[in-house]
This record gives sequence, structure tokens and C-alpha cells, in this order.
Amino acid sequence: MNKKIRIAIPNKGRLKKPAIEALARAGIEVLEEDRAYVSKTSDPRFEAIFARANDIPVYVHYGAVDLGITGHDLILERDANVLELMDLEFGYCKLVVAVPENSSIESVAEVPALTRVATGFPNITRNFFEKRGKQVEVLEVSGTAELAPKLGLAQIIVDITSTGETLRQNKLRIIGSILESTSRLACNKIAYRTFEKQITELLAKMRGESE
Amino acid sequence: MFKFQDFDGKLLALRAEMTAPVARIVTTRMPSAPEPIRLFYVNNVFRYSQSYLKREREFCQAGVELIGCNTPEADGEILALLISSLKQVGLQEVRVDLGHARLLKDLMNAAGLDEQQKVSVQSLLSCRDSVGLKKFMEQNNFPSDLREAFLELSRCRRLDEVSSISLNGSKYDMANKQLESLMELQKTLKDYKIDDLVFFDFSLTKKIEYYTGMVFEASVPNLGLPLGGGGRYDNFIEKFGKLKLPATGFALEIGKLLQALTAQGFEILEDPEVKVIVASQFRKTAVETVNALREIGVIASLEVTKRTLEKTREYGKLTEADYVISVGSSLESPVTVYDVKSNVSRDVMLKTFLEELGGQA
Repeated sequence: MNKKIRIAIPNKGRLKKPAIEALARAGIEVLEEDRAYVSKTSDPRFEAIFARANDIPVYVHYGAVDLGITGHDLILERDANVLELMDLEFGYCKLVVAVPENSSIESVAEVPALTRVATGFPNITRNFFEKRGKQVEVLEVSGTAELAPKLGLAQIIVDITSTGETLRQNKLRIIGSILESTSRLACNKIAYRTFEKQITELLAKMRGESE
Repeated sequence: MFKFQDFDGKLLALRAEMTAPVARIVTTRMPSAPEPIRLFYVNNVFRYSQSYLKREREFCQAGVELIGCNTPEADGEILALLISSLKQVGLQEVRVDLGHARLLKDLMNAAGLDEQQKVSVQSLLSCRDSVGLKKFMEQNNFPSDLREAFLELSRCRRLDEVSSISLNGSKYDMANKQLESLMELQKTLKDYKIDDLVFFDFSLTKKIEYYTGMVFEASVPNLGLPLGGGGRYDNFIEKFGKLKLPATGFALEIGKLLQALTAQGFEILEDPEVKVIVASQFRKTAVETVNALREIGVIASLEVTKRTLEKTREYGKLTEADYVISVGSSLESPVTVYDVKSNVSRDVMLKTFLEELGGQA
């Protein structure tokens, strides 16, 4: 079989630039990043696909792409069964539980039953509270969960933060941490078998090992 | 699993896989069947997966079980049958990747790992995280020969490469025995001429508490998900009764096979059947016509309502029939054949029309 290895890169956001740079350091330069969803690279064996970081775990899981660069948090949220071949160490963030500054809730244990939680991470959030025996109502929002308490939509939120600045600006206080995440090189399990030689070579280069 | 209660409070469940029902049947209905027993099934199973990637709940599975024997020949037969099934379906570039549950368990026991550490090793292996595995083994003071064996096994892709690994010392006796059994399996596969399609994969650790020997999955490069898999499960059937029977088998997901075939450019042929509606004010000739059509394999239906021919033709269009034909009082005179697709009518003798369809059908 003589097909190209497809690698998905976030099409926008904070992971896009470091992802492109990480590949460039491994000798794969993306050639047409501004125009195309599918882009040639300087290595004829690879082609780049630009997709939402959110969707990349799903694409990799189903093998729509062979490799993908995306956040560990997103891989968990989408419950994607993929190989996380390498921790790329950029895009650090924490998924936290936060309440308005003036809330009386001090810890996750104090969250009352049936509290409404706004989040862009409904699966992780549901699992997190279920494991602690807490019945909460999860309200899925795409982006800007921090707005929900202000609008009276939810009493608490689960959102990612890297420095905590956005939360502070929105007068929110962290009461618990769910997980820490960085970006990963994810790989489809079947594609790993098909392209093992090329992928291990790429990995060695990304790790900065000599060939 | 889908579970619910019967009216009298008894707990019911929909089967999530077929091996348990097979084990139950073998134990309760076939206690004196001569061994080995070879069984197959094609059946629907029901699973609720938490993942919202997979919304399907009902799957069609086809599988086989070889029960009552634990030789490499039995395992070889299962793998050969798996590969020939996939080829027979029309798939190309089929491969099987095979690990060994017992080998991994024996190696982890030899390393003296506790349950928590075993889980860590399995997850590092299944992620193919060799860097993490190395680190873990250093932190947990793995003996150097065992460390080398783990890394070497992770690198091995061909079954015959596994032969280069052998561990010294009596605590490795069990693991060495499993390695030998893999070599025997490799020789069996060679006799079947499928040794180039079966690859070793130490990272296959799923359901390790269930499997007791080889564990494998089948795939093609065009589809990102396994087509199915299986393995040896020697301690399972006894749970259903007193019979302690070793067993080995595989299951394939029919939906995945269809996806893989589509991905390989295989076109599912259009339904070649011809559908005809017969309308007439004369019931006797209409029934005769319907019967004549059915005899040559055409799907024919009689217009049983009293609506006008115009309305019947409209109905034919809506139900995607090929022809609506109207017959008179005698079949000695021509019938009117209305071609639904081209919206054209013509008069033709029924005999001629049947011949035309005969050529088509």
C-alpha cells in the first residue's frame, strides 16, 4: 500500500503554532498552512490535515487520520482509544472546578447535590462527580464556561486554565483540580501497525534522538 | 450490558457477546458431546458503550469456538480460519496481530509486581510507551535480564523473533513455557502458510484476566478499527458448571467488515430484483399474471384496492416498483406495461414480457 501518512494539526488556537514547530523540528514542514484543510509537507510521505483540536481525538480513533497533535484533556473528553506516543510538553493546562469568589463552597466535597455545572468537558465532568458520588446537572457549553455563573446559568464551572488569569478576571475561585494536560502525539492503533517504521523514525526525530 | 427486570422481579440481560451463551450451551445442553467441539454463530449482540463516539447499541457478530483442546494445532486452526474468512469475504491486506496473555502474566509474576504495578505495566505496554516502560522498570528494580526481555518482546513483530528470547532461572519456567508454545504456534502457522500474516504484538493486553493464552485482533490498513479478535480462554467455561474445558475462538463484527470492504473499493451491488404491480378489473387474469411473474422470480403484487389505474401507477412510483401492468379479461390479448422509471406505456403480450424479464432477472 502506498498511501500518505495523514497527520492532523489544530487549525487554530494555542496548540497550532507549537504543533507546526514541533513537526518542523522533526523535518516535516507544513507548506500551505494558511489556505488548505489538507496541506503538503516537505516530507512527501506525510500530509497535514487542519482540524479542530477538539475533533482530532475522534479522527485519530477512527483512523480518518493516522496521527494527530492534540491535548491530553481532549483525548480523555472524547474518550478516544488512541496511542499517545509522545508527550509534546507544550500547551500545559489544568482542568479545574471553580466557583464565584463570593460562593460559600470551599471544596468539591461541599458541592451540593443537583448543582448545575457549566463546562465544555461534559464527559470528564460527569465522571469526576459520579466517582465522588455527587449527582450534578452538567450543562454543556462550547467555550466561555466562565460566563455561566454570571448569567445565572450554573453555580459552578469546570474549565481549563493555564495561569488562572481568566478565572481571576471573571471573579472565579478554584476549589478543585481534575487533571493536568499537555499536548500529545496521538496515533491510530491500526495505523501504527501499518506505518510502524515511518512513525518510529518520526518519533525518534521528535525526541531529538539521532537516527 | 443492558439489564432489566422481568414482571416477577427476575433480572434479565441482553447478551453482550456470544462466548458466554456458547459456554452455557456446551455445559448444560451438550455435556456428553465428543471433544473437541467446533461451534459457530452469526448473531446480534447488544452493548452500551459509555463512549459517545460509538452510538450503536446492536452489533452483528460472526464467530467460532473450538472447545476441549489446548494444543497449538487448535490455536493454529482458529487463526487459519480467521484469515481465510476475511479473505473469503473479499478483503485484501489482512493481518492478525497476536499477543500472549499468559506470557505477560507470568513475566509480571516473575518480576514480583503487585496488582497496582501490573496495571501500570499493562497500560504502558498498551500505549506503546517504551520510554515510560523503561523508566518504570528502573524505578521498580526489575532484574536486568527481565528488563531486556520486556523491551525485546515489545520490539518483536515476527513470531519467529520471539525464539531469541529465553530467560535463565527457575522463576522464569512458566514464562519460558509460554515462549515455547508461541514457537510451536509459529510452526503450525507456517504449515498453514499464514505465518507471514500473523505478527507478534506484546502490547495486546486487553481482557488479560479472561484470556489464558494467545490473544489477537484482525485488521486491514484501510480501516482504523480492528475487525474483530479473540484468543484462548481455558478458565471460562468451568464458570458455567462442572466442566473444565479449554477453548479458543474468534468473533468478527459484520459492520466493520462492510466498512472495510467499502474502504477497499468494494461496491455493494444494487438489488437486481424486479418489482411489478398487476392491476386489473378482471381478478382471474390478474391472479394468473401475478403467479406467472412470481414463478420467474419477479416480486409481484396484486392491486388489491379498487383505485384507478392512474392512482396505482402513482403508488408504483412511491413504492419504487419497476412496472405497473394492467391486464384485460383474457391473456390472449396484449397487456399494458407501464415503465415507472421512464413513465412510458406499451402494449405487449404477457408471454413476451415474461421472456424479457426472464432475461433481466
